[in-house]
Amino acid sequence: MVASADFERDALAHLDALYNFALYLARNSAEAEDLVQETYLRAFRFSHRFEPGTHLRAWLFQILRNTFFTFYRIRDREAAVAEDGVPDWDVPMFHDAPDEDSKATETHTDLERAMQKLPEEFRTVLLLAEVEGLPLEEVARVMSCPVGTVKSRIFRAKERLRGFLRDYGK
Amino acid sequence: MTGPYDDLSDEELGRRLAAELPRHAAPAHLSRAIRAALPARAPQRPWLAPTVAALATALLLLLVFMPMMSRVQPTDPTERLVRAVVSEHTRVLMWGVRHGDVVPATLPELSRETGVALTRSFIGDDQLTLVAAEPIYVDRRRGIAIHYRDTEGHLVSYMAVPGTGVAIPDRDRVQVDRFRPALVRDSGYATWLWRQGDVACVIVSDRVSDAELDTFKDHFKRLRAATEPLPAY
Repeated sequence: MVASADFERDALAHLDALYNFALYLARNSAEAEDLVQETYLRAFRFSHRFEPGTHLRAWLFQILRNTFFTFYRIRDREAAVAEDGVPDWDVPMFHDAPDEDSKATETHTDLERAMQKLPEEFRTVLLLAEVEGLPLEEVARVMSCPVGTVKSRIFRAKERLRGFLRDYGK
Repeated sequence: MTGPYDDLSDEELGRRLAAELPRHAAPAHLSRAIRAALPARAPQRPWLAPTVAALATALLLLLVFMPMMSRVQPTDPTERLVRAVVSEHTRVLMWGVRHGDVVPATLPELSRETGVALTRSFIGDDQLTLVAAEPIYVDRRRGIAIHYRDTEGHLVSYMAVPGTGVAIPDRDRVQVDRFRPALVRDSGYATWLWRQGDVACVIVSDRVSDAELDTFKDHFKRLRAATEPLPAY
């Protein structure tokens, strides 16, 4: 099935948001690009399943996250990375992060590093709810869990994030 | 010593995440790659979907009503019998007889299975060759069918069934020697229809044209003169 031109245009309007989300999930720009490309191909292929009037961005995030799990098997990957005891997320991930003043760069790095230390479900819930500004109901739909679980994850994610940031500040 | 995040409330931390976590724009080539990977869109044909839907609906209705259509039978028992006999003849033409070749001597034996006894039967001559004989069940009547092939390869079927309710239509009667059978055409076949006592007899052939009528009459004369059916019970 071929998606309509309108659907393609509307979906591609969210390219930057999807790429940003993919980059935080995959931690690698090449993999993020593959992930986004595959997400769009799936979205266009199954565009007939999208219910007009619902949140297209949330639907795309959901496809991206499912694709991520399918392709990259995040749990295995994180376990393998941690085997040597030196998790990759202790290294700054985004060397091409926008340079502003040194304090801002340091802050970004701290926030990024702290985010990358979070488990995927905590990282995703903060990215979707706080960074992308999705309503909690949409976040719940993306993550296939109840809204109450989303609220709980946000609370716990912030607790952990605060802990990591406190450590960086010492 | 206190850090910049020590006393952040949940709301404040959320605001700082939204404001300070770097957002990374997709590289320009990614958008191009996605567009290039899209399947080509076929030219729009707004009439296609309604047409296909209409055709599919018509086909579905046809399939639904087809069994009912086939059950629409003539109310006249004679017409019904002729139609059923022609169907049986057509079936034999297309698929062959259910049983193998029949030895003429076994015809009386077969008549016991069919409810129609043949005190005499036509076992073929130089014009018609006996091909097969078998019990039949047409128009809810049990009977016997004997199939012959003429010198030009045409199949000629003789069938005899109990004749309850079957009336020979006067308007179709044709004088053939001393007999007056009815010549009835149905579904592209010609039939001779007559009664012998309580038995209705039919001969079916595809010799439907006027030019072939004499040949068909000849078939009738040979079969009618040499075959004598009776109800077995």
